[in-house]
Amino acid sequence: MQKILYIEDELLMQNIVDKILSREGYEVDVANDGKMAMQKLIENNFDYSLVITDIMMPYANGFEIISKIRNYTSPKKIPIIVVSTIGNEDAILEAFKLGADDFLKKPIMAGELLIRVKRLAGQ
Amino acid sequence: MDFSYFTDASIAQLLEEFYYSPLIIQIAIFFIFFSVLCILVTYTSILTKRYKGYRLEKKLERINPIIDDLILKNIIFNDELNKDAEEGEPANLIPLHDFQKIPFKSAFGKQALINRIISFRKSFKGTIAFYLRQLYIDLELDKQSFNKMKSVKWDKKVVALVELTAMDMSIADVNILPLTNSKNSELRAEARHAYIKLSKNEPFKFFDVVTEPLLMWDQIQLFKIITTTEDIAIPNFARWVTYSTNKSIVSFCLKLIVYYNQVDGIPAVIKLLDTKDHGLRANAINCLGKLKVDEVEDKLLEIYGNQTQNCQIEILKAIGRIRSGKSIDFLKYEFLHSSDFDLRKNAARSIISGGIKAQETIQLLLDTATKENLLILKHCMNPLIKF
Amino acid sequence: MWEFITSFYESTIFVYGLTLLIIYAILAILSFIAIASYVKKNKYFDYDAIVSSPLTPGISVIAPAFNEGLTIISNVKSLLTLNYPVFEVIIVNDGSTDETLQLMIDEFSLIIVEFAYNPKIKTQPVKCIYKSTQAAFSKLIVIDKVNGKSKADASNAGVNLAAYNYFLCTDVDCILDKDTLLKLVEPIMKQNKGRVIATGATLRIANSCDFDGTLITRMRPPKNLIPRFQEIEYIRSFVMGKVGWGYINCVSNVSGGLGLFDLDIAIKAGGYDFLSFGEDMDLITRMCRYSVDNKIKYAICYVPITLCWTEGPSTLKTLMRQRTRWARGLAQIVSSHFSLLFNPRYGKMGMIAFPYIFFFELLAPVIEFLGILYFIFLIFFGLINWKFALLLLVFVYSYAVMISTLAILWDQFTFRYYKTWGEVLRLCLTTFLEFFLFHPFIVIFSIRGYLFFLSRKKHSWGNMERRGFNNTTLSTAK
Repeated sequence: MQKILYIEDELLMQNIVDKILSREGYEVDVANDGKMAMQKLIENNFDYSLVITDIMMPYANGFEIISKIRNYTSPKKIPIIVVSTIGNEDAILEAFKLGADDFLKKPIMAGELLIRVKRLAGQ
Repeated sequence: MDFSYFTDASIAQLLEEFYYSPLIIQIAIFFIFFSVLCILVTYTSILTKRYKGYRLEKKLERINPIIDDLILKNIIFNDELNKDAEEGEPANLIPLHDFQKIPFKSAFGKQALINRIISFRKSFKGTIAFYLRQLYIDLELDKQSFNKMKSVKWDKKVVALVELTAMDMSIADVNILPLTNSKNSELRAEARHAYIKLSKNEPFKFFDVVTEPLLMWDQIQLFKIITTTEDIAIPNFARWVTYSTNKSIVSFCLKLIVYYNQVDGIPAVIKLLDTKDHGLRANAINCLGKLKVDEVEDKLLEIYGNQTQNCQIEILKAIGRIRSGKSIDFLKYEFLHSSDFDLRKNAARSIISGGIKAQETIQLLLDTATKENLLILKHCMNPLIKF
Repeated sequence: MWEFITSFYESTIFVYGLTLLIIYAILAILSFIAIASYVKKNKYFDYDAIVSSPLTPGISVIAPAFNEGLTIISNVKSLLTLNYPVFEVIIVNDGSTDETLQLMIDEFSLIIVEFAYNPKIKTQPVKCIYKSTQAAFSKLIVIDKVNGKSKADASNAGVNLAAYNYFLCTDVDCILDKDTLLKLVEPIMKQNKGRVIATGATLRIANSCDFDGTLITRMRPPKNLIPRFQEIEYIRSFVMGKVGWGYINCVSNVSGGLGLFDLDIAIKAGGYDFLSFGEDMDLITRMCRYSVDNKIKYAICYVPITLCWTEGPSTLKTLMRQRTRWARGLAQIVSSHFSLLFNPRYGKMGMIAFPYIFFFELLAPVIEFLGILYFIFLIFFGLINWKFALLLLVFVYSYAVMISTLAILWDQFTFRYYKTWGEVLRLCLTTFLEFFLFHPFIVIFSIRGYLFFLSRKKHSWGNMERRGFNNTTLSTAK
């Protein structure tokens, strides 16, 4: 089963997206903030098929999470999707520069998210 | 010292004594009682206030998960619904009975539902948002919102407007137009945002009539509405650049021209270079630079000499953005001979953004630069430094 | 003659006291109106719109650090994770003698960059400027400068480097709410009375709160009595005082712990004064003056919510040092801006804010002190009417407690601070002790500060006398 780490500090979004992804057969780990996200990553030895992350959150922001994942050398590259409210062009470019594979601006279309998740994480 | 006063005097005696005391003492005694009373009232208010807040929180903690589950079950995971959507004609099939049961019969339950639906729509667009709106209408929650609009309190009216705009409900012009001229600035602003978003005929009408400056918040809200509302007809914003006498409308329209890349508007923007207001002129130059209008470069160089510093900086930036390579000598001259540090830095930045075309000049400057100039050049070439 | 003096003195004191009480009542009403309208507006205000808009103005966050080795890393990280779409974090290492700088270099992979630094405000020399090689920390700039013996000098170096139009000034050891920038920028976006040159928010005492890293997980009133008195004092002076003054645009100070400023005006007003003991208030006064002189319609706003927690002095000795410094700063500001007093040219600042500062902040401790001396004098000569004196004392006491209690209530309107009702009650009951156990010390410390100010001043006057010898001899000869 494909395992996804979903990092989001807004609980409504976290809960719904978690359920949507779980229903599609993914195993979803959720984290509320940067610290929890790092814990999960280390606990699971960076073994995720996909990471979906927000940018603005406590302890460590999405940029830091992306670069921590990218700096971690592992046999396979973990795809990263950023989901954020930020509409500033520089921030979006920065996310891509750091190695994000995709950027979705909130509000998102659930269907679109699923398609992108499937493409990056596999079925 | 007579302390007996406080212990064994009868009430009548006290009153009499109060009556014959000097005015100051009377006032003091009055205020002692007043303060004590006020302190007691305050304590009870704190207590009730906190208790009410606590109750509300608990109630919401209970009701919100119920709403979430219902929305998940009846909308997001309702395959019937999604099947229809694919065929292109979304039918009215949301099962409503769950939403009409006990917790949602009260006004509180309905309001919680409205707020939750709005929060959902902040996170999700597309089909989910579409059906949530449908749910809002089917449950006749819009009635509750419209009722609030009839309230005499301005804040209730604003809440109603916010709810209705969030749900894309149309409001009759007769109801909303009077509010766009309300004396209350909050209500006025919110009504204008709603009008632009919801009015099908001429949403931009108020651009013609508004005389007061648009606040930064208005601009942010309007920008969001204009750029995200799906079926809004985007006009040619150059119209207001030419005709509007409201500076903030003009500068806002310049931003929209850039956003929509309205090249048709360029002549109007160029005309604006003759305006006396240097803030507006700087905005116009900025707009031309972002649109990369290279035919305006000569004109910019021509007017450069008699501009204020902020406009000069904008001209240097614009040349950097246009990147024609034509004005590299001018930039070099400014970099070497200007007496203003910020101008020199911006000139250097624009030379460096010239890329390959400017390679030779950059190398020449690097080889011959003074210590300070070298520092500026290196500063601008360092990818770690953004500004 | 003697009777005339005493009756004059008594009536002056009476009028003074009454005015002060009336002002407090007015402030309570004004702040209530301001808070009520803030609460109403916040019911529908959409902060996401600020985050998602490309038009949102950028903010430079400036935090000076001096020997903060223990907490620097987590504090910088918490500044880097503030909720805001466009900002930079400028840490000014003010010549720390501990490992503050080295810790940052290691943690954030900092390297020295060749930076074309063009100071608009003069400061102690900047040694070098660091940027992170990790793209995730591209928002961070670290300035290493020679110690200037003042926060003002360090802040100025940060202001010189700030790239955005607004800057937030804070302390590295302050703990900020994660939405601080959003909440402080809101008045700048929405104010229609004029250009907002500064906004502030309530500060609170962090002493007994629980933290997880730099995030507050549980808010508590301080357990120790000295910081708890300060908590009440802060709530009163921010929630009731500054928010009330803000409602009529008469704010005279934005606290140095947390404030958002208009960069352009702050620089043109000359930045922070490194000689001042009250550099925050001094800057605000000069920014106001600059605005009036240049015909800019300005506004200073205060939001009635707590966004910043700071460690308050927990011993009498440290408290004395802090308050003496504040008092000295206040005296400095009043003396250097004395021309503002009742100067109609400066509008509300000259006619309301500054006179209030002069009569009711600067002079209050002095008058109170003299009042006590007079009281003792009366007791000594047996001239006192005990009944009336006690009544008046009870009157002032109950009024003071009432105002503090109201402030606590006002504070609860915006947010349910503290977890339990018991904690609020404890805070409320502390107000009964404040009058006897805390206030007298504040008066003494203030007077100590004024004495320091005066003795220093004589010193500098000495120099001036030598320069302008002829003039002074003439005037003293008269």
